[in-house]
This record gives sequence, structure tokens and C-alpha cells, in this order.
Amino acid sequence: MLKRKLLAATIAAVFCGASQAAIDINGFASIKGGMALSSDDELYGYDNDFNFKNESLAALQVKSDLGDKLSVTAQLLGRGASDWDVKFEWAFFSYDLTENLRLNAGRLRTPFYKYSDFRDVGYAYDWSRVPQSVYGLGFDNIEGASLYHTTTLGAFDSSLQFIVGSYDGDAAIGSSIADAQIESISGIAWELGQDGYSFRMAYLVGKTTFYVDPLDNSTTGLFTQLRAFGLNALAGELDVVDESSSFAGIGFNIDKNDWLIVSEVTKAVVDNSFISDQESYYISIGHRFDTITPYVSFEKEDNKAKTEIYAGVPAASPVFAPVAGLVNQMETERNSINVGVRYDFHPSAAFKAQYTNADNKTTDRKDSVLVVGVDLVF
Amino acid sequence: MLKKLFLIPALTLSFMAFANVAVIVHPSNAATLSQDDVNKIFTGRAKSFADGKAVEPLNLADSVAVKADFDQKALGRSSSQMKAYWSKLVFTGKGTPPKELASEQEVLDTVAKNPAAIGYVSSGAVTGSVKVALTLN
Repeated sequence: MLKRKLLAATIAAVFCGASQAAIDINGFASIKGGMALSSDDELYGYDNDFNFKNESLAALQVKSDLGDKLSVTAQLLGRGASDWDVKFEWAFFSYDLTENLRLNAGRLRTPFYKYSDFRDVGYAYDWSRVPQSVYGLGFDNIEGASLYHTTTLGAFDSSLQFIVGSYDGDAAIGSSIADAQIESISGIAWELGQDGYSFRMAYLVGKTTFYVDPLDNSTTGLFTQLRAFGLNALAGELDVVDESSSFAGIGFNIDKNDWLIVSEVTKAVVDNSFISDQESYYISIGHRFDTITPYVSFEKEDNKAKTEIYAGVPAASPVFAPVAGLVNQMETERNSINVGVRYDFHPSAAFKAQYTNADNKTTDRKDSVLVVGVDLVF
Repeated sequence: MLKKLFLIPALTLSFMAFANVAVIVHPSNAATLSQDDVNKIFTGRAKSFADGKAVEPLNLADSVAVKADFDQKALGRSSSQMKAYWSKLVFTGKGTPPKELASEQEVLDTVAKNPAAIGYVSSGAVTGSVKVALTLN
């Protein structure tokens, strides 16, 4: 009996505690199906078989307002491509230092691009996916802290974000995945907007280390073998160990008289390594006809191989072929064209269809894919 | 006669659908607001009235007809566009949308009690317990 009373008291206490924190639960989901349009084509994980898992995802976000300007936000996200395994996409606390200045700390989205923060929230933009030529760095989140400042400068709305942190996880190197550590990341992102026009710039730096087993393995790796040949300087120019890295991006957006124009240009560099300098841009033009928004966009990805690294290696040398192969493999020139439409058929859901044709000049391949689906917020 | 009786509610309904939107505040609130001020408050870009006092905007659910009129007249966007706008901020921890109430009556009651509140209802629904700060035609 006493136990029951204690239990009741405990439950009451727990509920009282909970009732003091306001909890907001929001969610978003994208259910997408697509396929490549001819039997040899492959793009964005699609092949010639219709696939519903590849780009589908669902997420729940819980925000608890603890009062006194402090809140905690966690976002749980499951991707079809990862068999719907649910992960903490981000988890951070926010503290409002002033009405215009917010401190976020924890696992955060890195503000590389205009759409970085909500690239998973398909409902928030018109495309079926953010332009992959530009949004292809292979990692999105860092552990760290950011200061977010919003104000008005004359007629402009300004939002300025400073971020510091580090990243430990996967990153894309061309079409392969490296085990990456990026330390001492610091950066700034600034967006200015006025009446349908906005301009954005971002600049981030960090120290990058990549581990790829065929290259970095301490007995069989290519770099280990180069050092065994006494080619320490060459190995040092190729390997990715604590290398200065930078990311720069600028972009603009026009949303005026139902015309929608958006463009971003980015450049990512990892100094003193075999990683090519990655230059990309896209431009997208759409028009809103009430609930129907058709658009076209063009993307360009231009990664130039650093052939100067092996310029001093004689072609007859046994290391020439593997070194030149590695460096040249980083070369990519690819143009993509997208044509698509968004249809707002419901206040919380949009139907989308998008056709993409990617023309890879480096490998002389053309691939096309069609995706249809629904993006929701709730 | 019976037909006429039916006609009256039908006319009232169609009149309601084209009614002006009244932006309302607590009677003690001396603020005069422009459409731009209302736009800033309901998009989260302004967090206080001109006199520096904190503002608590109140939205209506999508199911209430005047919501679409307000989004179009005050914010210049469709309700879908506003939902996309807020989803950008909500899912990035950068903003919280205005609290959403289920009916115009709830907005009237809340604004009548809370000096910090600002809401909107169709002009015909305005009562003496709130003050109209701006009418959107």
C-alpha cells in the first residue's frame, strides 16, 4: 500500500516536472520513388529498377523549452538508404543571449550552403533534391558551437552565423568514402535579404585528415610504399594528414512576382594533398503558378586533378602508374540538367517530380533518372 | 418564405469569405501598426512592439478561412509558402512559429486577456474587448 502511494507520488512529481517544460514535436518526411531511364544508367543511387528506399526519409524533432531562454532540440532521422536506421541527426541546446543573439552547442548542421540547414526537409524547397554537384561534400554535421545573430541593417534583414567545431566520420572522395577527421573548424556564414532578394556568403576553414586503407595502411598502403622507396616528399604531397582546408561559397536568391531564381557557387580546397580543387555551381529558375511550380536548373561540377604533383616523377618509374592513377582519378567534369515540378496539393504536403540528366565529360557517360514523390511536414 | 430563410445564411457565409482581416491587440496596447510591422512580427523578424515590449503573435489553424486571407494580405504569401518558410526555421533551431489557435473565438479571448498578444480575425468578428490595430483589405 505504501509502495503504491509512493509510486503515485513519484508519477505525479514526474508529470509536474514535465508540465513545466513546453515540448514541441515537429516532423517531416519524404517518400520518393525513382529509377534510371535506361538499362546502363546509374545516378544518385538509382539504377534501372524502380526504387522507393533510396531517397526516402522520415524525421521527428523534439524541442523542449526549459524557460529562461534555454531550450534543447534533438532531431531523429531515419533514411531509407540506411534501412531506416534512426540516428540523431542533430542534438543541441540553444541559449538566447539577447533577443537577437542565440548560442547553439552540440551536434549541429555545418552552414556550408544556403540549403544546408534544411536539405533533408524537402517541403522547404521546390526541387526533389538539392543540387548534388554543389551539395556533394559528403558530410553535413559537426560537433561544436555556433553563434547566430539576426538584425536589420537599414532595409536589409541580416543573419550572421559563426561556427566552431570538429568532424569525425565519413567523407566523400570522388566516388569513394574516406574515414575523415576535420579539426579546428571555424567559419562564418552571412545572409542579407530584402523583399524577395537575398545574398549569402560562407567561408570555413579546418585541418583535414583522411584515412583510406589502400593508401594509408601502415604496411600495404600506397603512401607507406612510397616512403619505403625513399619518396617521402611525394608521399607528403599526396597524403591527407592535418592539411589546411577551406570552403568558400556565395549565392543569391530572387523570389519576386512569382519568379524564383537561385544560384550558388562554391570552391573546396584541401592543400598539399591528392584531393582535387572542387569548383561547382548551379542556377535554377522557376515560376509559381498558384499551387504549381515548374523549374529548370543547370549544375556544373569541375574538379581539376593536381597533375603537377607527379610532374617530376619519370614515366618509367614503378610508382608513376599508381600515383598518376590516384591523382587523375580525382578529375571530374560533369554537367547536369534538371527539369521538374512541385505541386502543393495539400497545406502540409507537396507532390514533386524531377528529371535529371548528368553528362560526365571525364568518363564520357550520360545518365538520367526520374524521381517522383511527396514531401510532408507535420 | 422558407427559401428566403435559407438565402440569408448563404449570403452571410459568402460575405464572411470576402471579409476584411482585422489585426487585433489588447485594448491597453497603444501600438499603431503598418502592414510591414505585422509582416515582421508574423515572420519572426520582429520580436517586440515599437515601444520595446515583447510581442506574442497568435496564428490561426489552416482550417479557418481567414488564415489564407491573412497570409496573402499581410504576408504576401500563400499558406503553403508560409509553411515552407517556417519549416526552414523550425527544423534548424532558428525560429519558432507563432502559436496556432483553432478558432477566431480563441484568438479574441486570448488577445482580450494578454497585453502582449497580437492576432487576427475577420473584421465582422471583432468585439469590444479587443482593439483593431490595422485593417487589411
